[in-house]
Amino acid sequence: MIEAKGLTKRYGDILAVDDVSFSVEKGEVVGFLGPNGAGKTTMMRILTGFLAPTDGTALIAGHDIFEESLEARRAIGYLPETLPLYPEMSVDSYLLYVATIKDVPRAKRREAVAHAAERCGLADVRSRVIGTLSKGYRQRVGIAQAIVHDPPVLILDEPTVGLDPLQIVEIRQLIAGLAAPARGEAQHTVILSTHILAEVEAICQRVILINEGRKAVDAPLSELTRDGRSLEALFARETARDLGVAGSPAE
Amino acid sequence: MRHVVTVAGRDLRSMFLSPVAYGVLSLFSVLAGVFFVLNVAWFGSLVSRFQQFQAFDQLQQLNLNDHLIGEFYGSMSVVLLFLIPGITMGLYAAEKTNGTQELLLTSPLTVWDIVLGKFLAGAGFVALLVVVVGLFPALLFVYGDPELGRSASGLLGLMLVGWVYVVIGTFASSVTRSQVIAFLFSFVMLLCLLLLPAISDLGVAGGSGLGEGLRYLSTGDHFDRLVKGVVDTADLAYFAVMIGTFLVLTKAAVESVRWR
Repeated sequence: MIEAKGLTKRYGDILAVDDVSFSVEKGEVVGFLGPNGAGKTTMMRILTGFLAPTDGTALIAGHDIFEESLEARRAIGYLPETLPLYPEMSVDSYLLYVATIKDVPRAKRREAVAHAAERCGLADVRSRVIGTLSKGYRQRVGIAQAIVHDPPVLILDEPTVGLDPLQIVEIRQLIAGLAAPARGEAQHTVILSTHILAEVEAICQRVILINEGRKAVDAPLSELTRDGRSLEALFARETARDLGVAGSPAE
Repeated sequence: MRHVVTVAGRDLRSMFLSPVAYGVLSLFSVLAGVFFVLNVAWFGSLVSRFQQFQAFDQLQQLNLNDHLIGEFYGSMSVVLLFLIPGITMGLYAAEKTNGTQELLLTSPLTVWDIVLGKFLAGAGFVALLVVVVGLFPALLFVYGDPELGRSASGLLGLMLVGWVYVVIGTFASSVTRSQVIAFLFSFVMLLCLLLLPAISDLGVAGGSGLGEGLRYLSTGDHFDRLVKGVVDTADLAYFAVMIGTFLVLTKAAVESVRWR
């Protein structure tokens, strides 16, 4: 569903993403893990077509992000790190606008908006102005705009950041539900980034650990946590070398 | 290009969801009223002065179009220069601070959808302002007999000048995240545009082709001819070229985000 081939991104002299390749199968939930500044957001921005890679390319649902950029973007639902909301709009008119620019056919737009609002628990606040909503509700609106056109691929950049513990659980359930949907729903392939390890353990099937722009680990979660090993230890081992954290294994 | 109207519609609606559009619209209406009253008073004083001195030749030459409506349009074109940056400053800068730029650029929209949509939103708002301006000469048709064609071509000129201001304002907004900087940048560019003929008249440019070129770049002469009722394709082409040039520059600025 997603295939990244040798993605590289330079900002001037800084190498933000360094020759990263991976592929994600349909229905998988993959966690992008890594310390702050590891290049997770840059990777996601490249996959969604917001940034052009310096080198390499990617296929989204079979469409090259350069050659068939519009088709690739149509196949993606994206929740950026900064919620892309217009504070002056109502939830309904905002979602309707997003459905329109994401090419949902006119006849199906109202239904798509109602459905996305329903799935994200927004049914009660649809006529509210976004600027007056609480952080948790705004986050849901952000997720609703990502799924409103029912895209095969979802890319979520830190979907639970800034939420309270209860909201975090709800959002995680929502994401898990998107990848393993109830009958009649389309199945989504999900990439989400986080630096909360518990989040990965709760919803992801696979982990791609990124450190200093390079792919350090790419393995199923079950393999990484086999025999009681913890993700914390892995995370520390893979990233500590460069951070110089006390207690890192001596080389 | 399918979503130009979608983008324009959202931006126009957002203008009216915030106080900016109402503020500009009411300020503009008040100023239009003030300038119209001033121009009518001035016209009245001209008439009475010419009558007093029995200057019948000059009195013959006085007409509503040249000495009232034209002057009024000219004043309003300067008012537009002050207000349009307030309308355009947020068109791109606010998308950047809202984070919605990322939504637009990752949606199946072409950059032209965005650039033309935003220009259309600004142009539509200017059209509304021009309608307000048009109401005043319309009054004169009740009490006098101005020429319809010249009144209309002047309005067209005012709208085209406003569109040039909009396209420059959107360009200024597209190169910065800050609405304040966008406002100041477009304001300075528009003032320069207004002052180009004055620079040319100073003779600093040496009366050569450069001076002519500066005059040509300014909206002034082209607008004046339209106000006088001369609809020349050369002037219309000037407006088209100005708008086109800044649209292309804006597109480049919007796209450049991808290549950082």
